[in-house]
Amino acid sequence: MKKSHIATLITFFLLIPATLFLGAKLPGRTYYITGTLIILELMIPFFMAFEGRKPQARELVIIAVLSAIAIAGRVLIPIPDFKAIFGVIMLAGIAFGPETGFMVGAIAAFGSNFVYGQGAYTPWQMFSYGAAGMLSGFAFGKGRLPRKAWLMGIFGFVTVVLVVGPILDSMSLFLGFVKPSPEAFGLVFIPGFAHNCPNALCTAAVMLILGKPFLSILNRIQVKYGMLT
Amino acid sequence: MKGNRQLHDAFSKRHPAVNFVFFLGVIVASALIQHPAYVLAGFVTGAIYYLMLNGAKGLKFLLLLLPVFVFVAAINPLFNTDGQRILCHVFGRPYTYEALLYGLALSGVIVVMLLWFGCYNQVLTGDKFTSLFGNLIPAISLLLVMVFRMVPNFIRKARQLAGARKSIGKGAGENATAKEKVTDGLTLLGALTTWALEGSVVTGDSMRARGYGTAKRSSFMIYRMTLSDWLLMAAMVLLLGLTLVAAYFGQTAAAFTPVMEIAPVSWGLCSYTLFLMIPILYHWKEAAQWYISRSKI
Amino acid sequence: MVHFQIENLSFAYPTAEGRESLANVNLTIEKGEYIVLCGASGSGKTTLLRQLKSVLAPHGKKEGQILFNGMPLEQVSQQEQSAKIGYVMQNPEEQIVTDKVWHELAFGLESLGCDQKTMRARVAEMACYFGIQDWFHKDVEILSGGQKQLLNLASIMAMQPEVLILDEPTSQLDPLAASDFLNTVRKINTELGTTVIITEHRLEDIFPYADRAIVMDDGRVIADDTPRNIGKLLYTQKNHMFAAMPTPVRVFYGGEGEGDCPLTVREGRTWLSKTCPDPKVNTLPIEELPAGKDIALSLQNLWFRYEKDSPDVLRGVTAEVPMGSLYAIVGGNGAGKSTMLKAVCGICKPYRGSVKVFGKPVAKYKSAELFGGCLAMLPQDPKSLFVKKTVREELEEMTADREKIAEITKICEIENLLDSHPYDLSGGEQQRSALAKVLLTSPKLLLLDEPTKGIDSIFKEKLAGILCKLQKQGITIVMVSHDVEFCAKYADMVSMFFDGQILTTDTPRRFFGNNSFYTTAANRMSRHIFSMAVTAEDVVQLYRKNREG
Repeated sequence: MKKSHIATLITFFLLIPATLFLGAKLPGRTYYITGTLIILELMIPFFMAFEGRKPQARELVIIAVLSAIAIAGRVLIPIPDFKAIFGVIMLAGIAFGPETGFMVGAIAAFGSNFVYGQGAYTPWQMFSYGAAGMLSGFAFGKGRLPRKAWLMGIFGFVTVVLVVGPILDSMSLFLGFVKPSPEAFGLVFIPGFAHNCPNALCTAAVMLILGKPFLSILNRIQVKYGMLT
Repeated sequence: MKGNRQLHDAFSKRHPAVNFVFFLGVIVASALIQHPAYVLAGFVTGAIYYLMLNGAKGLKFLLLLLPVFVFVAAINPLFNTDGQRILCHVFGRPYTYEALLYGLALSGVIVVMLLWFGCYNQVLTGDKFTSLFGNLIPAISLLLVMVFRMVPNFIRKARQLAGARKSIGKGAGENATAKEKVTDGLTLLGALTTWALEGSVVTGDSMRARGYGTAKRSSFMIYRMTLSDWLLMAAMVLLLGLTLVAAYFGQTAAAFTPVMEIAPVSWGLCSYTLFLMIPILYHWKEAAQWYISRSKI
Repeated sequence: MVHFQIENLSFAYPTAEGRESLANVNLTIEKGEYIVLCGASGSGKTTLLRQLKSVLAPHGKKEGQILFNGMPLEQVSQQEQSAKIGYVMQNPEEQIVTDKVWHELAFGLESLGCDQKTMRARVAEMACYFGIQDWFHKDVEILSGGQKQLLNLASIMAMQPEVLILDEPTSQLDPLAASDFLNTVRKINTELGTTVIITEHRLEDIFPYADRAIVMDDGRVIADDTPRNIGKLLYTQKNHMFAAMPTPVRVFYGGEGEGDCPLTVREGRTWLSKTCPDPKVNTLPIEELPAGKDIALSLQNLWFRYEKDSPDVLRGVTAEVPMGSLYAIVGGNGAGKSTMLKAVCGICKPYRGSVKVFGKPVAKYKSAELFGGCLAMLPQDPKSLFVKKTVREELEEMTADREKIAEITKICEIENLLDSHPYDLSGGEQQRSALAKVLLTSPKLLLLDEPTKGIDSIFKEKLAGILCKLQKQGITIVMVSHDVEFCAKYADMVSMFFDGQILTTDTPRRFFGNNSFYTTAANRMSRHIFSMAVTAEDVVQLYRKNREG
């Protein structure tokens, strides 16, 4: 059994339950710490798998380039608040598969926070951006959804509204702005939805317009250098 | 990246492990403890340290924290109706004294965390983080280092692309519609990606030409643990440990709703405050030492 | 001691359909030799160099063998190859992996798994040897191109290689940084005895010091001899690589001189003094500055700075470019030449002064009017203009007019490149494709930013031919360049840009003829006996005139 598989098992059957148990046991307000720990623990298997496979130079470079593009892309579009980052991450996932998609997302989130500042939100961002890359990688994998521009656009929109946005918003719950209650859920997720929509639209635009050319750019590199799949 | 800024703060010149352990301690402790006295200690020390790092410019950030504080404090009682002393009714629901205090404590916690994260970002720069974790997660550390290298390079290139396009009459001008701006921006993003990926092949070759992947990587330690690093580390562990003991004896406990129960202030607060003041005290110590030794020159 | 023994090496890329990129190459490289490998783009230089290091060798059909220290290269472990065979590539920017200078220096040693003590010692040693201790803690981002390439070299030398392979290491650098870099390489060769195998466009700084020059053409080694003999061989074979030879060599053979061929300017001067002691004709007719023509571009007292508190980059630039001329602006690196072009295009907005294009202030033009049929700029890096998958699509992005595309394609000589991906082209081909794209806006005023950067002498001549054709069509060309030889040969007017302003403007002959440092090699070589001879052709012309009669 691979090290990373063992890590996955340990994470899910030991680490996370233990964290939950301790979180519930300890006195005081531990939601944030518990939540953050679980988010971090969820990412351990991915990172272990990545480290364990001793990535080749080219794989490393590709992930770095895509993450950096996702971060640097914002200076290209002269509209404030236009976020191309999710689009780039998800296209990376589609082109290079779920594992790479996850890494690109997580590294883009973490890396960009070294520029714009780390905060309590960092693990949540890493996880949700990574999830976006991973999901698109799964959804458009071989023999699954066809890589049509409009379909990628819709997928981009839905993923941001239903997955990335809510994961990020859920942090406010854990951070304990308010005591968990049905109203609090409403307070977090309804305004959250309203502000996720523009981001989702940007993502859809990126996937719709840039999707095809971007995939052919990535494909050219894959073919030219016979790497990854 | 931010690492360029020459800080005048002595603590940020210490080994990254010292910096990291300190901030980990501060952030975990301030997320867990909502005892008002402890929160206040966190705020005062955090604010002093933040101002030490940023000078007068830091005041702006401190002022920005005020509305956050008020907003979070005021909103909490709207959802939390527990508590005994009812102040008024909002939307027909009771707005209680205890819930308000709870809100104040909570928003204090949030403000303190924001403040200390602000300090963290100044002190624990990208290169410190990666050199700290270079041995534990070598591939991811290297990945981050490469991203730090590429981001400014790509931003420069992106500007160059936009300029080149403008000088042949392509690209969206200032009066372009949002749609034109987006389409043009995405065309450039595609061009930037092509350029970057073609270049990445050279980078990959350059890595392999220098033996990447031929042996188990070691990592060059630009920072070395010195005696003062160890001493600082020991002081931190000791003070944090004392605070933990204090917490175990319930000194940090504070409940607001339904019934307010706040533990009396005791020696735990001292050790916690001293812990939080480590960077400040260390800097003062270094400054004094420098002053004395300079006077001998 | 033989270092590399290449025996009957042939190589074909899988996509080449049997066409060999290397054909039956046989070479012996001794330990400690300094070898320069020359040849036109596409002659197989890079392919050959890459074969000398297994990780970089491209996939394809390979025959023959390479022995490294007497052992087949395949049997030398990757780790040993990494350390012992250093390889520096063309682009300084993309070879750098990490964000800090110190980390880049240590990268190779980290990969080999060196321990802290060794790494510290080696990194410190290299930082001192290359004089980079002052920027040891800096971000690589703030280094200049020359510093970056020096860092690449240093980080390879930290691994203490026995052989140093350099593939056009200075093609992206300005002349000053380039000769700095090449001097360091020479120092490594003479002081440490490291074997050096280098390919270069600029042979002036290498040729006199190399032990051997190897010339390649179409995948074959066509000459392998001392640099002094190579010139003769290329001249008698009428090989187009002769154009890349250092000026003294070209003058010597161009004038059909006798005796030993000079390689350096100093040798050239001695040779000229000896063979042409007191010339009867010592000057060439001086062209006059074009006068009375309309002004295509006029700059009046331009002042510009990038940020509020940063120093001024343009400090009162004033210039007038007559219609239909090829106007060259030379000057040191970072003097603000490119910024001036950006100011003309409106990418930078000067805070004082005015730019007039064809008599009308630039600000009065609408963007579509200015860039559609009036003004266009070819950027320093032609790749900045590429956004599509093929050259054809690039051109079609500009206009739907097929006839016009065909016409421009012909002018730029890119007919056979139309279906290629822009990034699959060589530097010179990219340059011409980008130029075609720019020309499709039908500019009357064309701005060129360092058009000869990174392209070899053969492509330079092609470019000059294209510029000449454009000039005949009445297009005014303003060019900013480090390449004094190119400006001396092709420009109508040359200006010196220094300290944020244009200092002197004159015809190339008078401009370079009156300078004694900032001038062409031909002028430096001949100024003691001829005046106003600024190109190799000028010197040859005068030399012949005097010898004949």
